Amino acid sequence: MSDGELNETTLRLERLIPLPPEILFALWTEPAQLLRWWAPDGYEPSVELLETRPGGRWRTTLRRSDGSMLATSGVYRVVEPPRHLVFTWAWEDQSGARGHETEVVVSCEPAPGGTRLVLAQRRFESKQARDNHTIGWSASFDRLADIAG
Amino acid sequence: MTTARVPQLDSLFAALADPTRRAIIERLLATGELSVGDVAAPFAISGPAITRHLQVLERAGLIERRIERQWRFVRVRADALVPVESWVSRQRRHWTEALDRLEALAAAQTPRRKKS
Repeated sequence: MSDGELNETTLRLERLIPLPPEILFALWTEPAQLLRWWAPDGYEPSVELLETRPGGRWRTTLRRSDGSMLATSGVYRVVEPPRHLVFTWAWEDQSGARGHETEVVVSCEPAPGGTRLVLAQRRFESKQARDNHTIGWSASFDRLADIAG
Repeated sequence: MTTARVPQLDSLFAALADPTRRAIIERLLATGELSVGDVAAPFAISGPAITRHLQVLERAGLIERRIERQWRFVRVRADALVPVESWVSRQRRHWTEALDRLEALAAAQTPRRKKS
C-alpha cells in the first residue's frame, strides 16, 4: 500500500515549538487557548467539553459559514501536565454517530529553543488495547521519551 | 464522511486491529494469491484459528476467495485498503495543518531572535 506497511502507528508528527512545555500544554488543555489554533481558516471552532482529567470527555465542533459542522470527540486517558496528554479521537458524522476511534498521544519534552512536541496517533484500536490501555500506554511513553530524548 | 462509510471503515479497522490478521494481509500483498495452507504456514496457530481470521478478513471486504478443484485460494481485494488509506491521509492532513497553526501561534507570541 502507498503509505507503507500496516503497522500500529499511522501517524507520528514532531515539531519544535518555541514555548515552554507549561504554556504549550495549556494550548491543548484550556478551552480559550485551544480555540486559538484548533480551527482551519473558514471554520468557527467551539469547545463544548474539555474535561482535562483521566476519564474526562472532550468535544469540539467546527462550523462553516454554510452551516455545516464537523465534530470531533473523545475521552482523556492520561493528563499529566506539562508532558503527556492521551485522548481517544473520533470524527462524528452529521447524525452525531462517532466514526472509527483511535488514540492520540501528545508528548511535550523540553528542548533547546522550546519544547519538542510529538504527536502520535494509532490507526488500529484493538479491544485488548482498550482494556489494557494503562499498561500499553506506559510502554508507549517510554518509547516516546526515548525518541524525544 | 457519509454515514454509510462509517460502519465499513469500522469493520475494516477492527479486522486490521489484530496483529495476525495484519500479518496475513501483508503476506498476501507481498505474494499475491496464496492457498489457505500457504497462508497458514508461517503462523504457529491452528488451522481453525487461521480459518476464523480469514473469515473476519473476508467479511470486512479485505480478501476474496477462489476455489479451484480441491484448493482454496485467497487474495487481497484490489480496492480493499482504499478507505483505510483515505482515512489515514485525512488524519495526516488534519494534524499537519493543526500543528502548523499551533507553531505559527507560538512563533507569533515569542519575542523573535534575529539571526545574523
